[in-house]
Amino acid sequence: MQRGLYIAASGMMAEQVRQDLIAHDLANASTAGYKADRATTRSFGDLLLQDTSSGAAVGPLGLGAQIATQTTDLTPGPLRTTGEPLDFAVEGDGFFAVRGPNGTRYTRDGQFRVSADGTLVTARGDEVLGPNGQPVRVGAAGNVAAGQIGVVALDAARREGDSLYTGTPRAGGAAGTVRQGALEGSAVDAITTMVAMLGSLRAFEAGQRVITTIDSTLAKSTNQVGGI
Amino acid sequence: MLEGLRAAATGMTAQQKRMDALSNDIANVNTTGYKHERTSFRDLVASQAGPGGAAGVRAGAGAAAESIGRGWAQGALQTTGRPLDVAIQGAGFLQVRLPDGRTALTRDGALQIDARGRVATSDGALVQPPVTVPQGMSSDELTIASDGTLLAQGRPLGRLPLAAVASPHALDDAGNGRYLTNAGSGAARAAGRDTTIAQGALEMSNVDLGDAMVDLMAAQRGFQMASQAVRTQDQMLSIANGIKQ
Repeated sequence: MQRGLYIAASGMMAEQVRQDLIAHDLANASTAGYKADRATTRSFGDLLLQDTSSGAAVGPLGLGAQIATQTTDLTPGPLRTTGEPLDFAVEGDGFFAVRGPNGTRYTRDGQFRVSADGTLVTARGDEVLGPNGQPVRVGAAGNVAAGQIGVVALDAARREGDSLYTGTPRAGGAAGTVRQGALEGSAVDAITTMVAMLGSLRAFEAGQRVITTIDSTLAKSTNQVGGI
Repeated sequence: MLEGLRAAATGMTAQQKRMDALSNDIANVNTTGYKHERTSFRDLVASQAGPGGAAGVRAGAGAAAESIGRGWAQGALQTTGRPLDVAIQGAGFLQVRLPDGRTALTRDGALQIDARGRVATSDGALVQPPVTVPQGMSSDELTIASDGTLLAQGRPLGRLPLAAVASPHALDDAGNGRYLTNAGSGAARAAGRDTTIAQGALEMSNVDLGDAMVDLMAAQRGFQMASQAVRTQDQMLSIANGIKQ
């Protein structure tokens, strides 16, 4: 009986994590090049229940749920034309390579600017790398051609925060092309995310109901059964 | 436990910042030489999710927005026919002297001649280096060449040299359409030859009102979505509280 309490609680904790991921997605509804997360739930290993008197199998019992994997959906988002000469977007697959204090990282956020020494940098000041792996030089009039910026196809891309990803560059992998004067919009889809938020909230609520029901059953068995 | 609540709240703060920048842009849709603000969003560092997630499931901490300077795209030129209106075409600035003695950069070229015959901006900041127009000369007799040379009846009086910086995005905003150089922007140097001055015209604001309004609406909706996430997180806490009756 108490097992059910913990099973329901594990479901609530899993929904809590799912809501945290959804809150992060909704907060990033305007982040250029943002990719939404998909969370999948998995049940812990099942137990085979047996009737203690006869030894006959009753059936499997799940031990609760947990968010097992989270995958970042890297499908390219919609491009938005801004007309800003230093806004760039990758059309198709691939990432911009940038070099920061922690080494080379990858990003889909192409809102760049010019540093004091005349190189193209990200909003956070990381150097944008060209196809040859060297920083991109900006012309005297502040102009950069789309072809000066490198695009890298990545394997095992993993979100690191600050719109950056880590991963292994794929040698010879077909990567997308750079478009100037455009930004990739956030790939968060408002409708599906809001629906997922509602669904998860109700699942959380259902978990609470299960706990309160088990609790009231326990209360009955302790207070009323003993009172006969 | 409260990570999601905070993550959603950061989204609201970020959208608020964007709305501030857009309101400023919309207010300056008719300001001579105004350049729109650029706001950059980023997602915040992801860390291991709570006990309901397996090892390796990482929840992000929301979003942050910051201003990354201005978009320096050329504004449209408006012909005024006024001899002391100048518009800069290309990357460059006029240099003016602020009341506290510092030299600032501006693209607002609505110039005038002050009471002592010196060429100044509309609010009285002198252009640098100073140019003085002889007493009694009307501004109609002045011509300004594309390189900034100021001529009175064909005779040179001085020059309005155009300055440029390596990183205009890092310039400090001094208000009134003026900017100050700093270590991040690099020192002011002479602008390239392709930067020219057009006399009798003003550079209009480069804010596209339609784009700015659409962005403002998107920011409002983004704010609402993040606030819904805050409400949902709050509801979940309340449901969790309801476990113990």
